[in-house]
Amino acid sequence: MKKLLLFSFLTLTFLTQAKNFEYAGYLKSEVWSKINNDNSHLFLSSFKNTFDLETEFKLSENLSFFFHPRFFYDLAYDIRNQDIFDENQEKLGHTQRGEWLRDCFLDYTSDTLDIRIGKQQVVWGQADGLPFLDRVMPFDLSYYWLLDFADIRIPLWMIKVEYSPSLNSTLQFLLIPDFEASRSAPAGAPFSFKAVNIFDAFEKVNKKYGGSMNTTIYRPPKKFKNSRVGLRWRSMIGDFEYTLNWLYGYSTSAYTYTDSFTPVIAGTFFGNYEISRRHKLMHIIGFSFNKSFVNPGIFQGLTIRGEFAYLHNEPTYYGMEGKRRLTEKTDKYTYVLGFDKYLFTNWFFSLQFAQYIHDKKTFSGYHVLNTYTYGLMDKVENYLTLKIATDFMHERLKPEVLVVWNDDNDGRISFKAKYELRENVWLTLGFHHFWGPPYGSNGQFRNNDHVVFEVKYTF
Amino acid sequence: MRFLLAFLFFLLNLAGFAQTLEVGKLYSLKEGMSADEIMKIVYHNKYSLFCKDITFKGEVIYVDSPTLIRKRKYIKHRIILGRDGFSYKELTAITYPTEVKGLAILVWSYLSPQKDQQVWLWLPTLKKVRKISASQDDDAFMGSDFTVEEVSTRRFEDETYRLIGEKKFAGYRSKYKNEMLFKGRDCFVIEAHPKKAHWYYDKRIVWVDKKTGGHIYEEYFDKRGRLFKKIFRKWELVKVGDKLYPTQTALEVEDLRTHHRTVILMEDIKYDQGLGESLFTVKTLMRSRW
Repeated sequence: MKKLLLFSFLTLTFLTQAKNFEYAGYLKSEVWSKINNDNSHLFLSSFKNTFDLETEFKLSENLSFFFHPRFFYDLAYDIRNQDIFDENQEKLGHTQRGEWLRDCFLDYTSDTLDIRIGKQQVVWGQADGLPFLDRVMPFDLSYYWLLDFADIRIPLWMIKVEYSPSLNSTLQFLLIPDFEASRSAPAGAPFSFKAVNIFDAFEKVNKKYGGSMNTTIYRPPKKFKNSRVGLRWRSMIGDFEYTLNWLYGYSTSAYTYTDSFTPVIAGTFFGNYEISRRHKLMHIIGFSFNKSFVNPGIFQGLTIRGEFAYLHNEPTYYGMEGKRRLTEKTDKYTYVLGFDKYLFTNWFFSLQFAQYIHDKKTFSGYHVLNTYTYGLMDKVENYLTLKIATDFMHERLKPEVLVVWNDDNDGRISFKAKYELRENVWLTLGFHHFWGPPYGSNGQFRNNDHVVFEVKYTF
Repeated sequence: MRFLLAFLFFLLNLAGFAQTLEVGKLYSLKEGMSADEIMKIVYHNKYSLFCKDITFKGEVIYVDSPTLIRKRKYIKHRIILGRDGFSYKELTAITYPTEVKGLAILVWSYLSPQKDQQVWLWLPTLKKVRKISASQDDDAFMGSDFTVEEVSTRRFEDETYRLIGEKKFAGYRSKYKNEMLFKGRDCFVIEAHPKKAHWYYDKRIVWVDKKTGGHIYEEYFDKRGRLFKKIFRKWELVKVGDKLYPTQTALEVEDLRTHHRTVILMEDIKYDQGLGESLFTVKTLMRSRW
């Protein structure tokens, strides 16, 4: 009914405001195929077909309405024989619930005040591919971090107000009454996290030994008082641009707690579990900056950017490798420094160094764990990323490569080449190679290298 | 002694001021001008430094082969400042094709010829604003046969100039529109050499139209003296109030090494609409929806 009303509104608006109506969209088919078969996955991971439409209605000089639906259907589940992955068709095979609506907002703009009300994305921070300060939106990690970030973020209904007290300064206020949890792929999917697979495997073994696991998910009740709020001050000192950020509210990630355990076999971990998945109140305080060196000198042409985030009271897992024992609130400090420069005419180099610092490495004798894999983490985790991009054939061919490396020799290399066959037909070939220890963020996918081929027709 | 130094400093400043054309003022070419004087006016006109602001729709046409022609469309706003160290600020938004629609670029250009531009980009695939390093001057402008410098960053101070003579232009046959343009127009012919060593060209011959004050034709030569690129620019005088503003309305370039051609067309050109500086801020980029 809601959809029908929305479409009726849009049709009416279109009919009355046709000259102020603009649209663009695409049809896309993408095939994800695994390179090496370790018998736990099939070669065809995904055959996703997407329809996307973006529309804008300019209602007046200061008022616009933007509407952006997207639908997909993954044919892989119909093509393949029944196996473990097909159990995930319900969650990964087609557009879920309200996800078809990517944007739906009303924009009011003026010199001093901009207001955007509706479903939208808000992005903070200066880092590429490392979401330290970019934590306003929940994430859909069904394909790990391999998609464009605009597609990884889950849009939310909210109010965003930007007030400009001076020419290059803005104060942003966010009120987010909507709530969506970040999610990852279910167990057994091509990019399901090791922690998810471990939990799933243990649940099955536990059941064999007569145990049970009852999981209760606690979402924050959809009440106004549970709204998340955020503030961001952005300004410039000369050509040094900076932001100060604060976000408070329920974490978009759900954290696992063991509320009670009764062993069925004494001295073992098999038994009856009461498990809960909870979102906790937490603060994120941070800042970001950027500066381009425009004056003559050895740094001319270099852009430096960075961000810092202090995560206060974020639930953290403690245990042994592959086994979570405790979930405790701790603090974390994260920062990224990025250096960008064009070299050799049109080769873009972007290097990032990042650190993820835990306040407490151990808790009650247990070691801090990687949320995604239950692998052991260092007190300070170091990351390096390097992106190189260029273009050939008058920008018809655009290759880029991204290398992500962690100090535990855990990493991935992602290559992508985009080719413009015609103005409205684009081909993309991609490749993702992972390496590292089995409990590493990337190492968990070390037998999961993929090639991706995409055909996109735009209109 | 201090008085003498102050006086000398004042004279130097005065000389410097005399060398720079006043932003917001129209200049026309006159007989007997030196190569430097002519080229200063050419650059003044190229970046529309005579007006308060300008808005136009642009179309870049890539002629990859006789059967394959690709297009990019954009809308550009520029405000001329000439104060606080800024020459102008510019906002460009790509409107076509869909794959790159929404990409928007904010550029702040300084008065100082030594300073690079400040550049911000709205990236639709990330839905965020990203501060980026200025493109290198010899990089292709939007993937075309023009370099960034030829379209948007070359300044008067980047070259040395010599007046070769005054000639009637033989005319340029537009390959895109198949029409003869500017035939018989009186021109100054100027030879320009880049100050940078090992640059992508060694010399260019510039034909400057006396009527519009625009550089209508350029030929680029490499170190061996081989002609490798030809650029034609169509200039028109656009009436704004009681003034005639020299305006580029079309550009054509051919790379003689690859025989690839690019055409840029400008239309719906509007001057002095009273654009505010607040349009040329990061906040405007963050308004992007596509």
